[in-house]
Amino acid sequence: MTQIVRDYFEKNGMGLGIFLLVAVGFWVIILIVLPQLSMLDFSFRHHLPPPEMGGPKDTYTIEHYKYLVLGAPGADTSYNVVDLGVFGRTLIAALFVTILDLVLCYPLAYYLGQSKGGGFVRVLVLLLIIPYWINEILRAFAFRIIFGESGLINEVLLTIGLIGNPIDFIRANVALYAGLGYAYILLMIFPIYNVIESLDRNQIEAARDMGAPWWRIHWRVVIPYAKPGISSGCTMVFMLSAGALAAPQILGGPSSLWFTQIIYQWFNQGGNWPRGAAFAIVLLVTCIIIVLSMMRLFKVKIGDIGK
Amino acid sequence: MSTGVDVNLENVWIRFGEFVAVREANVNIKGGEFFSFLGPSGCGKTTILRAVSGFLEPSEGQVKIGGRDMAGIGPNKRPTALIFQNLALFPLMKVWENITFSLEVQGVGKADRRKRADELLDMIALPDQGDKLPSELSGGQKQRVAIARALCAEPDVLLLDEPLSALDLKLRQHMRTELREIQQRVGITFIYITHDQGEALTMSDNVAVMRAGIIDQIADGQAIYDDPATPFVASFVGENNVFRGKVKSIDGDMALIDTNRSGALLSRMASSAKGTLSVGDDAMMFVRPEACNIATDTTPANNRLTARVVNEEFEGQIYNVFLEGSEGKEIKMSLVNVGQHRLSAKGSDLTLEYSPEQAVALPAGDLASE
Amino acid sequence: MRSDNYLLKFFLIAYLIVFFGYLLGPLIVMSVTAFNSPGFPRMTPWECLTFEWFDVLAKDDRIIEGIKNSFIIGIGTVILSVVMGLAGALVLTQIWPKLRATYYTIVIAPILIPGVVLGISTLVFWDRINIMLGFTSESLFNNGIFLTILGQSTFIASYCMLVFIARLQRFDTDLTEAALDLGATNVQAFRKITLPFMKPAIGSAAVLAFLASFENYNTTTFTFGKFPTLTIELAQKVRYGINPSISALAFIIIVLTLIGALAYEIYRRRQQLALANGAPVAAVSGGSFQLPKIFRGNPAAVIMVLLALGGFSTIWFAQSYSPAQCKVDVRTQKQIIQQQRIQEIRQQRLEQQQQKSRQGPDIFGGKKTAPATGTVPQSPGKGSFGNIFAPKNLEKTGPKGEKTD
Repeated sequence: MTQIVRDYFEKNGMGLGIFLLVAVGFWVIILIVLPQLSMLDFSFRHHLPPPEMGGPKDTYTIEHYKYLVLGAPGADTSYNVVDLGVFGRTLIAALFVTILDLVLCYPLAYYLGQSKGGGFVRVLVLLLIIPYWINEILRAFAFRIIFGESGLINEVLLTIGLIGNPIDFIRANVALYAGLGYAYILLMIFPIYNVIESLDRNQIEAARDMGAPWWRIHWRVVIPYAKPGISSGCTMVFMLSAGALAAPQILGGPSSLWFTQIIYQWFNQGGNWPRGAAFAIVLLVTCIIIVLSMMRLFKVKIGDIGK
Repeated sequence: MSTGVDVNLENVWIRFGEFVAVREANVNIKGGEFFSFLGPSGCGKTTILRAVSGFLEPSEGQVKIGGRDMAGIGPNKRPTALIFQNLALFPLMKVWENITFSLEVQGVGKADRRKRADELLDMIALPDQGDKLPSELSGGQKQRVAIARALCAEPDVLLLDEPLSALDLKLRQHMRTELREIQQRVGITFIYITHDQGEALTMSDNVAVMRAGIIDQIADGQAIYDDPATPFVASFVGENNVFRGKVKSIDGDMALIDTNRSGALLSRMASSAKGTLSVGDDAMMFVRPEACNIATDTTPANNRLTARVVNEEFEGQIYNVFLEGSEGKEIKMSLVNVGQHRLSAKGSDLTLEYSPEQAVALPAGDLASE
Repeated sequence: MRSDNYLLKFFLIAYLIVFFGYLLGPLIVMSVTAFNSPGFPRMTPWECLTFEWFDVLAKDDRIIEGIKNSFIIGIGTVILSVVMGLAGALVLTQIWPKLRATYYTIVIAPILIPGVVLGISTLVFWDRINIMLGFTSESLFNNGIFLTILGQSTFIASYCMLVFIARLQRFDTDLTEAALDLGATNVQAFRKITLPFMKPAIGSAAVLAFLASFENYNTTTFTFGKFPTLTIELAQKVRYGINPSISALAFIIIVLTLIGALAYEIYRRRQQLALANGAPVAAVSGGSFQLPKIFRGNPAAVIMVLLALGGFSTIWFAQSYSPAQCKVDVRTQKQIIQQQRIQEIRQQRLEQQQQKSRQGPDIFGGKKTAPATGTVPQSPGKGSFGNIFAPKNLEKTGPKGEKTD
């Protein structure tokens, strides 16, 4: 063991060695691990005003978790239908957005990956990246303008005469899904694009040679090869959708409360930090479980997730 | 320039976990010598080089430079300079900055360094290339820059890790002579590792032949070639025909080997075999292709054998005749071209002779693999 | 088969149009609304070309304050993230192989953890420390800038690390050994050999870190304390007080981004051209007149110059143009329409009254009247909807309860 320490300092020298240890140590321990543990611990504590923390009332409790599942004591339903419902809907919506993005982006990623490069492709890629340098708030805002009751789409439809009354896109959550889908297109395209780029064109030529129709080529040749990219993209989009805050706040209708918004409320108006922490832990654990099972399901290793 | 400094490896073992990379190495290199480690890939020669330069510590034994034990002394503090196989020139620095890097880390000022760089550039015959980047130089030029960079550090020992392996044939031959010249001019100890025996033999004062971590023999080129210590050395260095058999009798320096079907053959015993080879032992006899000749009527029976001609090759200076011996093994005979025409028909039998003093007999052992 | 090909091509083009329409459409719409005079950003109907919203933007103190905070936090995050990311990448190359996967997972995790969780955990953790150490709520550990920098750096360092790992993979480790062999200490070898090699990666990581920090919302929204960033301010405005000054800001950002992208493209093109050192320039500058050197083969530069020219002329135009007249015209137009409406309705009422008096007495006032409109009409010709200032529209998103600006 000490041999390892000695080798390390021999290899890096005293100054550099200490610097590396301090920097990485600070990052891993103080910024990554401890805050999560602290939040976990906090979620098990009572909601107390600061003077009372550390005092006799500061014991451990699972009341916040109980609240999430069972609701407030004395409520009329035996389960916390509202919050659980929101939680479930958030996950389903995230799933929907992921699938939407996948279907939307796959063709373009394929086209970019298989093309021979050159000016046109570079321009496309540039066009793809530019919207992402715009702040996500502004992007959501743009969708608000377009989908609003007096927004562009409604105006166009009304003038054409397709509809008689404006469609409340916002209430119908269409705006939200469009906005969320929009937000993560880049994250879905690039992993798939990268993987497909490394696919040998000859394989596709060979399949076509053997008479396979285009859909079968994709089904049997391209998609299995692109699996790491696809699952990497889906994982990121799902995680980011489930954890999104800005888009639901700006584009969500009254019926599409997002779980993250509930957490936000507990930290702001609700003022019940431990409860917010508990909900956040639930979100975190769920995301981790889903990511791990996705990785296991599609046999993707952690090393594949890197742009 | 420093004068030659001795390098000694005393009982050096180098292990990586379970794997033994270098086994009980004992090497004494005199100051000012051009010393080579010769062997196939993976034999441990690079490991020894790294141990001498300080990137490795031996698991057992000592590495001494100039009589000082180098244990615990890092590569930047040892009086050695290493020329890497891929040269490792700093790509973002100009040629002159590369050369004087060792001065830069000592804090020498820019003007002084520039002056020194110009001197060295003159010495390696690249007078105006100082401001170029390494990527703009040819292979041979990069080689010379690497040498200049190492020499600028004024080491006591210069270590070279297969420096010529990436060059084409003509350049390689040219660099061989050049390296030897530089070494003799500068006078410091060179330790050179290679798998090319032509290089080792032409350039070195002494050669250590290695295989699988073991040093089979340390001697000068001629001894390695004419008086190999083990069957491995005999078969690795140059080409050699092998005959197996049992020792029938020993008379002074000569041994009579009873081969299966070629009869009893007479051969000199290798120096290392004197005293260890006894009657009845399994032995191998080695005869170089150039030691063979077509038999005459006066050839004694003990140094003649008959074989079937398989092929004949005309190489210009040399005629190579490939025969199949009675055990089915290939025998190669090389004759100097004295204007003779076709020697024999394919498939016919040919009797050849060899000089017993040029042959060498050793206890049976592992040969170099093909 | 040929028809198949055409069909496929057609679909491909249609798909591309739809896709990029989806991608770029919102931006274009937003930009247009920045110049339209109505108080709520809209593209149609077009009322008056105006630059006043840019003025409003410039005078908005909170936005300015937000920009300032974003910059400070951005710089702090860049420094911390680049340093940690670099250290992380270097350690990865040296770590014991068995530990490597675990280590990698831990340092990549912040990318996968939802931003809100990072924000919350940072907030909670430092709050606890604050209390444990007995500091007041004014201390460093409660400071919004401190917390935001830490929270953002946690995951931005991971992105930086990925950039560095990619660059390090191409690094020849023999180079550091050669440096050591020539007498350099480890620190010297690092400074003179490794760092210069990493410089381009450090540059791109820094830019990446700054951009990521600037636009971060999920994490920052929990940690900003008393120092809201531009993004936070934007979010507040978008949810509670929309006016086209936001569109104006968006337009500025879009233009800046375009300029940035073009500048980058120019830089890259010049690099490429420099590499093709002796390549015949004639092939590129075909045409009747020779463009100056920077433009040869560099369409991006040409576009840039055109944009600059366009930009300057627009700004000059904007200074002298006043939409006041246009607004007055529009207002008068609307008033006229209103008057007509009122006339029509009076007509109707009269007719109905007459009808009624024919039919007999009935309860009066049961008929609907036209919706009351003020003398400053904000809505377009169709008046029955689009009344965005109605309470229900303001409350659409966000937590329950009114929050004023």
